Amino acid sequence: MKIESLSFREAEFAIETTLTEGRLRLTLAGTADVRAIEPLGRLLPKIYDHSAAGSIDDITVDVLTLEFMNSSCFKAFVTWISVMQDAQDRRYRITFVSNPAMRWQRRSLQALACFAPDMIAVTTGAS
Amino acid sequence: MLGHTSDLAYFEMSISPSISFVSVVRRFVASFYECLLSDLDLASRVALVTHELLENAVKYSIDGETTIRMEIATTTTPPTVRIRTRNRADPASTAILRRNIDEMNALADPMAFFQLLMKRGARSGAPGGLGLGRIAAEAEMTVSYTLVGELVEVCAETTAARSP
Repeated sequence: MKIESLSFREAEFAIETTLTEGRLRLTLAGTADVRAIEPLGRLLPKIYDHSAAGSIDDITVDVLTLEFMNSSCFKAFVTWISVMQDAQDRRYRITFVSNPAMRWQRRSLQALACFAPDMIAVTTGAS
Repeated sequence: MLGHTSDLAYFEMSISPSISFVSVVRRFVASFYECLLSDLDLASRVALVTHELLENAVKYSIDGETTIRMEIATTTTPPTVRIRTRNRADPASTAILRRNIDEMNALADPMAFFQLLMKRGARSGAPGGLGLGRIAAEAEMTVSYTLVGELVEVCAETTAARSP
């Protein structure tokens, strides 16, 4: 089920958030450049609030069709992950589903996984 | 502007002022280097660096003008790939850039520095040079700068050796 209040779409960038059988899935598409900073900065804290309120510990972030992410958007994820790390009573698990054809993803997601190794897993999906 | 000598191929472009051009330039650079070097990994790294350097240069340009120059020098084996951006910036922005690059280059481990920047950024919420850290750690390029008055030139460099 798509959660409209946690989704965003414009010409170059989109986030779709769905809830299926108690699992939250964020699907990012397009280019996360300077124009995506505001929507990401607005939605990621809301997604955290939604997860905390709904006792959702497992989150999937699908970046299969994310062409690029700049460092400001990357930082929005770092902040989001850091907030989840600091949650006293919860152990969140975030799985990034990456696309091997988008070569930047391997290095960027490896760096994120090193930042929070107990929380983040990276898998590859079909492109 | 496209050009070449016997040991240097380059192109240079100036953009003003829209930051939305940055992604357009990144896509062009990625395609250009995929064709030229037949190395998809290197082309992806060059594209990432192009985006990060150019976005910073456009953001901090005080007159709205930014120049990017891409070079492949064949005076070395393997060839050297350079990405240079040039813009005019105010002294405060220049001081931050200089501090970030100096700090990064003083540490021997780019990935450790990148992780440090992530921790700092998560705590402070400030920008903190994450793009520069990414260039060194993810794109595996060295970064240097030249300052002449208000003019700032940042250069990222690597060799075009085949990735493992």
